[in-house]
Order: sequence, then C-alpha cells, then structure tokens
Amino acid sequence: MTDSITTQEQPLFPRRKKDDRPLFIVFVILSFLATLTLLASASANRAAADWHTDLASSVTVQIKPNDKPGAAALARDILLQSSAVTAVTILPVERSKELLKPWLGGAALPKDLPLPILLDVRLHAGQAIDNQQISAAFLAANIRADIDDPQKWAKEIKRPTNAAQALSVTALVLIITACITAAVFATRAAITGQRRLIDVLHQVGAPPSYTARLFSANFALTGLKAGGLGAGTALLVSGLIGMMFASSSGVSFFLPGLHLTLTDIYLVIAVPILLAIIIAFASWRTIIKTLYEEIYP
Amino acid sequence: MNTATSTSNPSRAEPKTQMQGRDNIRFDHVGFRYTRDAEILSDLSFSLPCGSMTYVTGASGAGKTTLLKLIYLHMRPTRGLISVFGRDTSQIDRKAIPALKRRMGIVLQDFDLIDHLNVFENVALPLRVAGQKRAAYKDDVSGLLKWVGLGGRAHALPQMLSGGEKQRAAIARAVIAKPEILIADEPTGNVDQDMAKRLIRLFTEMNRLGTTVVIATHNKDLIPKDASILALVNGQISNVTNDAGIKA
Ligand SMILES: Nc1ncnc2c1ncn2[C@@H]1O[C@H](COP(=O)(O)OP(=O)(O)OP(=O)(O)O)[C@@H](O)[C@H]1O
Ligand SMILES: [Mg+2]
Repeated sequence: MTDSITTQEQPLFPRRKKDDRPLFIVFVILSFLATLTLLASASANRAAADWHTDLASSVTVQIKPNDKPGAAALARDILLQSSAVTAVTILPVERSKELLKPWLGGAALPKDLPLPILLDVRLHAGQAIDNQQISAAFLAANIRADIDDPQKWAKEIKRPTNAAQALSVTALVLIITACITAAVFATRAAITGQRRLIDVLHQVGAPPSYTARLFSANFALTGLKAGGLGAGTALLVSGLIGMMFASSSGVSFFLPGLHLTLTDIYLVIAVPILLAIIIAFASWRTIIKTLYEEIYP
Repeated sequence: MNTATSTSNPSRAEPKTQMQGRDNIRFDHVGFRYTRDAEILSDLSFSLPCGSMTYVTGASGAGKTTLLKLIYLHMRPTRGLISVFGRDTSQIDRKAIPALKRRMGIVLQDFDLIDHLNVFENVALPLRVAGQKRAAYKDDVSGLLKWVGLGGRAHALPQMLSGGEKQRAAIARAVIAKPEILIADEPTGNVDQDMAKRLIRLFTEMNRLGTTVVIATHNKDLIPKDASILALVNGQISNVTNDAGIKA
C-alpha cells in the first residue's frame, strides 16, 4: 500500500471543478454586482455628505443694491448676534463683480451699475442660523437682504441621494435573493447527485449536522472564492470607470475612482464573506430540511 | 460462547462478557407495511441476546431486508415494539439515532460503497464520521484490508473492483468500528462458495469476539448445522432453530 493513500485524506464531498463552474460564475456575477452597488452607494453618500458640510458651514447674505449706506455693517452686527455665527466678512465690490461675470460676460461693467453687497457668514460646525429671526431683524433695521438657505440646498442633494440609496437597497435585496435561490438550487442538485453519499453517511451514524456541514461548507467555499473574484473585479472596474470619467472635474459622482477609502476596502473584503455566509445558511437549511424529511425517520 | 481475545484480528473487538445474556435486539408483536396493502411483516416476536449469531432466511421477497432495516433503525415499525441495546426504539429521539447507528455495522445487499472514495476511504468512513484522527485509525484500516484480502486494492475506486471485492470492502466498512451489532444483508450474494465461506468465517470471528451478528441469506448451504435460524414465510416466523436464545 502506498503511503499517499493512508496519509492523504480524500474529501468526502467530491469536488469536481467542471460541475461547480456554472455556480461559480453565478456567484462571481452576484458578488460583482453587490460590490459595485455598495461602492457606488458609499461613494454617493460620501459626495453628498461633503457637499452638505460645505454648504452647512457657510451662508451667503446678499444686501440689495442701492440700499442705505452702512447697511452692510449693520447687517454684520445683526448676524454676529446669532450664536451660530463665528465670523462675517463683507466682500469687496470686486468679488460681486466677479461673481456676476458668468452672467454678464467679461465686458466692463458700467461704474454706476447697482451691485449687491455680499456677506460671507461662517458658522459653527453643525449649527444653523435662524433664518426667520434674522430676516425679521433685517426688516426691523430696514435692510433689504436675501439669505441663502443652505437647508434648501441640502434637501435638494438629499433627495437624489435617498433615491440612489433606495435603489441600492432594492438591488441588494434582489442580489441576495438570487444568491439564496442559486444556493438552494445547487444544493438540491447535489442532494440528488450525492444521494448514495447521504445514505451511507446516515448508515454509518453521521448525524444530520455532519452531512449538512459537508454540503454547505462546500458551497460556502465556492461562494467565498467566487465572491472574492467578483468583489475584486468590481473594485478594479469601478476604479477604471472612476478614473476615466473623473479626469476632467476630479470628482465622479457615483464611483470612488482612485480615491479608495477604508470603507471601500472593508466592503470589498466583507462582500465575499457575507456571500459565503448567506450561501452556507441557505444550503444548510435546504439539506437539513431534506435530511429530516426523507432520510432520517 | 467463546470470549477469548484474539490479537490476530485487526478489528480488535472487545469481548462483551458483561453484556452476555442480555437482549440486544427484541421484537414484540411487530408489524410493518410499506403501503396500505397487506403487512410485509406481521406479528413478529423474538429476541436476540448479546453475543448471539442469527441467520435470517426466507424466499426472495419474504421480508428479510425489511426486517434488518427495522433492526438498524432505518424505519420504524407500523405496530409493535422494537428495542435495540435495551432501548425501546419508539421512545428514542431521532437526534439519538446516529449515536446508536455508530454502535452497529451494516452490510447492505447492494454494498453502498461511495464511488468517488477509494477502498481505504470507504472502509475508514465510520471512523472518520465518529471523529477519529487519521493517524489513529490508519493502521487499523490497512490491517483490516489485508485481512479481507484487499491489501493491494486500498487505492482502487469501487468501480474498479469485482463484485466480491466490493462485498469484502463493504464488510470491512461494517466491522472497522468494532460494532456491538453487525447486520449483513445477503453478504455472500456475489461471491463464489469459497469466498462466501471465508466471509462467513469473518462474521463468526466477529461474533466470537462478542459482536451480535444477524445475517440475512437465502443460501442455506452456508448456514452451519448448529446455527440459530429465523425463517420468514409470508411475513411471519415459520421456523426457529433455537440454540442461541431466540424466543419465537
Ligand atoms: N420501499 C418499498 N416499498 C414498497 N414495497 C417494498 C419496498 N421494499 C420492499 N418492498 C416489498 O416488501 C417485500 C419484502 O421485501 P424485502 O426486500 O424485505 O424482501 P427480501 O426477503 O429481502 O427479498 P430478497 O431475498 O430478494 O432480498 C417485497 O414484496 C417487496 O416488494
Ligand atoms: Mg433483501
């Protein structure tokens, strides 16, 4: 007897690459889609959050042109009374002109063109000014001014972000369902194909959990390998797409591009593991159910 | 009953002197039907003591396999009581059945070897399932394979074996874990008379070491003259040669 026989343990569950391939491909695709969805959703959330903090940390106040002289200073004093405000800068007229350029073109502006005076109001992080109160104070002081409402903008951003999130959740639910279905289907096929193995294991006194572990571990391993490949490919593809479309503006809305964050790395590691766990669970339940219904009296 | 230990037997079954005289398998008015039709087995009552060796005979279709399936807890009786290892099987939780099965060795009529495992792995399966380490059972399995004449076929797959070799591999698997009860369904069906006698000797040896043996066969030539026989006709025990405690 050769030593290799007695030292090398044969796997009880037959691993035939050819039989596993269709399932492997399905899991690669599902993992790819799940990772892409999660990466895009995380990236969109991050972009929205960035904009949100930018917007929320400053407010612009526009004092209508031809208002009484000293209105700007008065407005500044009123604003500074709010506890949320850290600083108020009265922007020089040149800045107003600059801001108007896109609309009026580069043509020299007439000297007497009435220009609004802009106040840049800086806020404490996470705090907002009470628009109504400030407006009332302006009115009382006879200042005609517009206050940009950052909350309005935040809402504008939030709406598509929420929509994107709802879409990702829907996609993930579908992907998980497809994953469970594939695992159940493959397990059923394996139960039919390995009926003798199941019977013999039962006959030699293997408890149902032993047989179920054998089957589900096999599928979980396939899922882990396929999941790793799918997630890795998704990362690569999203990086490439992000790079291609972000080159002009430096930001791509839905994809992380080359700016990988720790979250992205975690996602790419977590997806195959979660996939394997879902597959193991689905496969385990399927075989345990069959064993108790058909094999163990 | 000879209870002497043998060092030559690789299966090394321990003598079970302390269990002698107790019933290992007991049927009380057992009836069984597969379908709503007539009972395949009706009103069987007998008991097989620890350390006994019994032949179940009967024509094809008499219900020998069915009887063995009831003994090894593959099915539950439609009526009546079966106790195995002194336990009423109707009271046994199904979670406890695998542990009881690990105390039995079973040779089925169609061998039931696993196609993708070689002979060594097939024979080692009960030990592997019981959680034993490979290093611990390696030599036992190799020794037993030599003993049944399959020493050179350890790495062959079942489809490469002859009928008789498969039969011997299946028997080796049934005895490797030193079962307290050994059940063999037509274990000599596929071999010539010489091999059949050798295999019966293996069972006799197992029995000599304390294992309760139940063999179903319709080959009456193989049955020793002084053996205990349980003959099935029309689902009932028609004839019992009682020298090992069978109570009809
Ligand atoms: N799963 C089953 N469902 C229905 N009927 C069955 C089933 N298994 C066996 N039978 C019937 O039960 C009867 C007894 O079968 P069994 O296999 O116990 O006979 P046997 O004595 O072992 O015969 P053989 O010597 O041919 O192996 C037969 O008539 C058979 O047709
Ligand atoms: Mg039979």
